[in-house]
Amino acid sequence: MRPILSIKGLSVEYLSPRGRVKAVRNVNLEVYKGEILFLVGESGAGKSTLGLTLLKLLPEGIAKVVGGEVIYHRDDGGNLNILKLRKGRLRRFRWKEVAMVFQGAMNSLNPIMKIKDQMYDVIKDHGVRLSKREAYKKIEELLAMVRLDAKRVLKSYPHQLSGGMKQRVMIAMSLLLDPKLLILDEPTTALDVLTQKNIMNVLKDIRDKLHLTMIFITHDLSLAAELADRIAIMYAGSIVEVGSVEQIFYRPKHPYTHGLLKSVPKLTSEIGKLESIPGFPPDMINLPPGCKFHPRCVFRRDICMEKEPFLQKVEENHYTACWRWRDIFGEE
Amino acid sequence: MSETLIRLYRNFFFRKILRVAVTVFIVSTLTFFIVRLMPGNPIDIYISSLMSTQGMSYQEARQMALAMFSIDLDAPLHLQYIQYLSNLIRGDLGVSITSTGTPVAKMIAEFLPWTLFSVSLSLFASFGIGVALGMVMAYRRGGIFDTILTGICTIMSAIPNYIVGILVIVFIGIQWNLYPLETMRGTYTSTITPGFTIEFIVDVFKHVLWPFITYVVCTFGGWALSMRANTISTLGEDYITVAKAKGLKESRITFSYVGRNAILPLFTSLTISFGFIFGGSLLIENIFVYKGIGWLLWSAINERDYPTMQGVFLIMTTAVVLSVTIADVLYGLIDPRVRRGE
Repeated sequence: MRPILSIKGLSVEYLSPRGRVKAVRNVNLEVYKGEILFLVGESGAGKSTLGLTLLKLLPEGIAKVVGGEVIYHRDDGGNLNILKLRKGRLRRFRWKEVAMVFQGAMNSLNPIMKIKDQMYDVIKDHGVRLSKREAYKKIEELLAMVRLDAKRVLKSYPHQLSGGMKQRVMIAMSLLLDPKLLILDEPTTALDVLTQKNIMNVLKDIRDKLHLTMIFITHDLSLAAELADRIAIMYAGSIVEVGSVEQIFYRPKHPYTHGLLKSVPKLTSEIGKLESIPGFPPDMINLPPGCKFHPRCVFRRDICMEKEPFLQKVEENHYTACWRWRDIFGEE
Repeated sequence: MSETLIRLYRNFFFRKILRVAVTVFIVSTLTFFIVRLMPGNPIDIYISSLMSTQGMSYQEARQMALAMFSIDLDAPLHLQYIQYLSNLIRGDLGVSITSTGTPVAKMIAEFLPWTLFSVSLSLFASFGIGVALGMVMAYRRGGIFDTILTGICTIMSAIPNYIVGILVIVFIGIQWNLYPLETMRGTYTSTITPGFTIEFIVDVFKHVLWPFITYVVCTFGGWALSMRANTISTLGEDYITVAKAKGLKESRITFSYVGRNAILPLFTSLTISFGFIFGGSLLIENIFVYKGIGWLLWSAINERDYPTMQGVFLIMTTAVVLSVTIADVLYGLIDPRVRRGE
């Protein structure tokens, strides 16, 4: 399979008065064409920072890429180093090649512009050769795909729409330029359960109709079961395990993944059997030495406190960053 | 009948207008009495000025003053008030006491245009400069340009305008002799006949220049600081990050996404400032002998010219109350979120 995106040794830090926040630490990840990759982790694990870096959207002056690169592989075989893109080229790259749906559904839209105009701005500024009528036809099609009444929505202002509708507008807008890669950063987090379900169904429709590559960022592992092809688990700024849905759900090889799975309720699990991972996520300024998960890990040995583990191959497509995965979980 | 009244009361605009009328009535009543509570009355002031300038005795001066002013200030206050109100309803602002026989309305019509011209010119310039600077400062926040300008704006908006006015006259006009004092002061050169001639228009702009600069210098800082704060908070909004992610042109993000949202709260202050135009810049007009409504009010106060004072105050309150109401309605037009019933 051809990768569409290669993240190589990426590290991002935030400058804070207390010190450097190591939000993303040496992340290596390939995203393959046509797949849906889930990036799962607790809040503060660096998922959103990673997402923003892929579009070079980190707040200037506060966040800094301290190492690594992100290579985007174009359809025509050309490669783009995203972090090196400047002004005009970066602007034209955004949304056209990689689009993003953000977490804050409530605030993603300009409050004083009609949806119609915000949609059309995208087409205008990217110099898409479409007549006004063709453009609106395309917009209406996309709105229909996200199950919205185009006639009503287009002439509305954001405050006249519900949270779920706004998020669906954002999804439709993200598809406007037929991007090759769509990043969804917690697209359902601020919404109620029913609306969440709705959005997930819309995304399934999009997967079936458009076959585009998606990176879905979430803290909710159960969403991955519905939509993911592959899952990458993030902890304290790095990826601790990556594998297919089956591998992650049925044969986890990292104590953290294991803990996450046990903390998700299942229909068949008995009342009171839900477990949580003891302890708290680490302080991202003063990270513990060795494996960053060791203070919360019941399987830790001396080596875990001394050396940080790297991703090791478990089986085809399945990698884990744990020194003791063989002892704990056994070989397949 | 009562149903029509209720429906009328429910009407948004009718309620607004009713509120304006009531406020203006209350304020004009208050000014009527407060003006008369000031020490001295027009006759006393005139008598003492005759005594000091013409060297008359008190008796002579008093007789002359009484002959000059055909008013009866000894009439009971409540009768004067009723007289004032009944004139007001007919649109009659009365006749000036000291400029004998000149209707107050005519005086206001003569002085008001100059204030409207000079202050609205200054207000627009000050708003424009302030908004532009505020946005640039916000975009470069923390930088040296921002730090210096924030300091300057804070100081400038804290200095009273009459001090700047006096400094302008003392230094630019007298000490350094950079600008002719007779052009700096006054409204226009009296030897030029007013009219739509190039000569007159140029002369008018030459005279308005320094009052204009003084006003702008003292007010742009306030606009700039508010715009800076609004822009910074707008820049932090999610929809700005989204707009960048969408690959929109930088100019569009700056104007349609950041600028338009940041400027919204300022429109209310701008509209209200328009109301205060009518009050003129009392002190600036005095320092520069710019014969606008502020200057008229100043001389009316000095001479205790009750009808003129009342007239000017009435215009000023009406303008302020109206502009507040207009700001209210206008905000609904420019911000869709507060628009009523869709």
